[in-house]
Amino acid sequence: MIEVSIMPEPFYIGSLNVGLSVVVSWGVIAAIILLLLLAQKRIRNFTELPRGLQSVLELMVGALHDFARSQVGDKADFVAPAILTLMVYVFATTFIELFGLPPATEDINCTLGLGLSAFLLVNVTAVRSLGLRGRLAAWTKPSAAATPIRVLTDFITPFSMAVRLFANVLAGGVIMKLVYMVVPIAVPAALGVYFNILHVAIQTFVFGMLPLLYISEATE
Amino acid sequence: MSTIGLIAIGAGLYGLVGAGVAIGMGMATSHAMDAIARQPEASGKVNSSLMIGFVMMETVAIYGLLVSILLIFVLGGRA
Repeated sequence: MIEVSIMPEPFYIGSLNVGLSVVVSWGVIAAIILLLLLAQKRIRNFTELPRGLQSVLELMVGALHDFARSQVGDKADFVAPAILTLMVYVFATTFIELFGLPPATEDINCTLGLGLSAFLLVNVTAVRSLGLRGRLAAWTKPSAAATPIRVLTDFITPFSMAVRLFANVLAGGVIMKLVYMVVPIAVPAALGVYFNILHVAIQTFVFGMLPLLYISEATE
Repeated sequence: MSTIGLIAIGAGLYGLVGAGVAIGMGMATSHAMDAIARQPEASGKVNSSLMIGFVMMETVAIYGLLVSILLIFVLGGRA
C-alpha cells in the first residue's frame, strides 16, 4: 500500500513547523534569482538587436505579452509581468519533482496562496479599469436576480484554481507511484517525461491563461 | 459488507465523473469540427476557445479523481 497524504509535509526549524513547501519554495526562488543575476552578468549591456541569451529572454517575455494583449487588450502592460511571475513560480516549483525534490505545489497551502494572488490580480486590474463602482455594478449585469450567482462565481475562483493545480500535481504523483509499484522498469521513465515535463507545462499554461480569461471577463 | 468495500464502491462510482466529462468533450470537439469545416479561416479562434473549454472540463475530471484518491488512500487508510 502506498502512502498518500494531503496533509502538508512538516519541516521543523527548532520547534517551529514552517512546512516543507515553504522551504522548497524559498530555495527555488533563490535559485531563480541567482540564475537571473547570472544572466544579467552574462548579457551585461542589452542591445537593440538581441543576441544569444538576450533573445531567449526577450522571446519569453514578448510571447507572453503578445498572448496577454490578445486576451485583455491594453491592460496587458499591467498584467503580463505578474502573470509571467506566477507562471515561472508554478513551473519551477512543480518541475523540481524531476530532480527528486518534493514539489511545493503538492501542498494545498501553496496553491491556495497562488490562487489568492491571481484573484487579487484579477480584481485589482478590474477596479483599475472600471473603478470600484463599475466593478460592483458588473455583479448586477444581466439582472439583479443573478447577483448571488455572480458573486459566488467570482469568489470561488481562487479555490477552484488552487484545487485544480493541487489535484493535478497530487494525481500525477499518485499515478507515478502506482506505476512504480506495478512495473518498476522502463515504463515509469516514459511516463515520467509526461508527468514531469509535459504535464507541468500544460498546468503552467493553464495557470497563466485562467487569470487572463477572468480579467477579460471582469473588465469587458 | 465491510467498510473498505463500501469505500471502494464509492471511489469507483466517482469514476463515472469521467463519463460525463467524456460526453462534454465529445460534444465540444464535434461542434468545433463543424465550426472549422464551415469557416476554416476561424480555426485559430475556435481552437483557443476549445482549449479553454477543455481545461474547464478537465478540472471536473480531476476533481473526481481527487475525491477517488482521497476516498481510497485517506479514508481507506483509516478504515
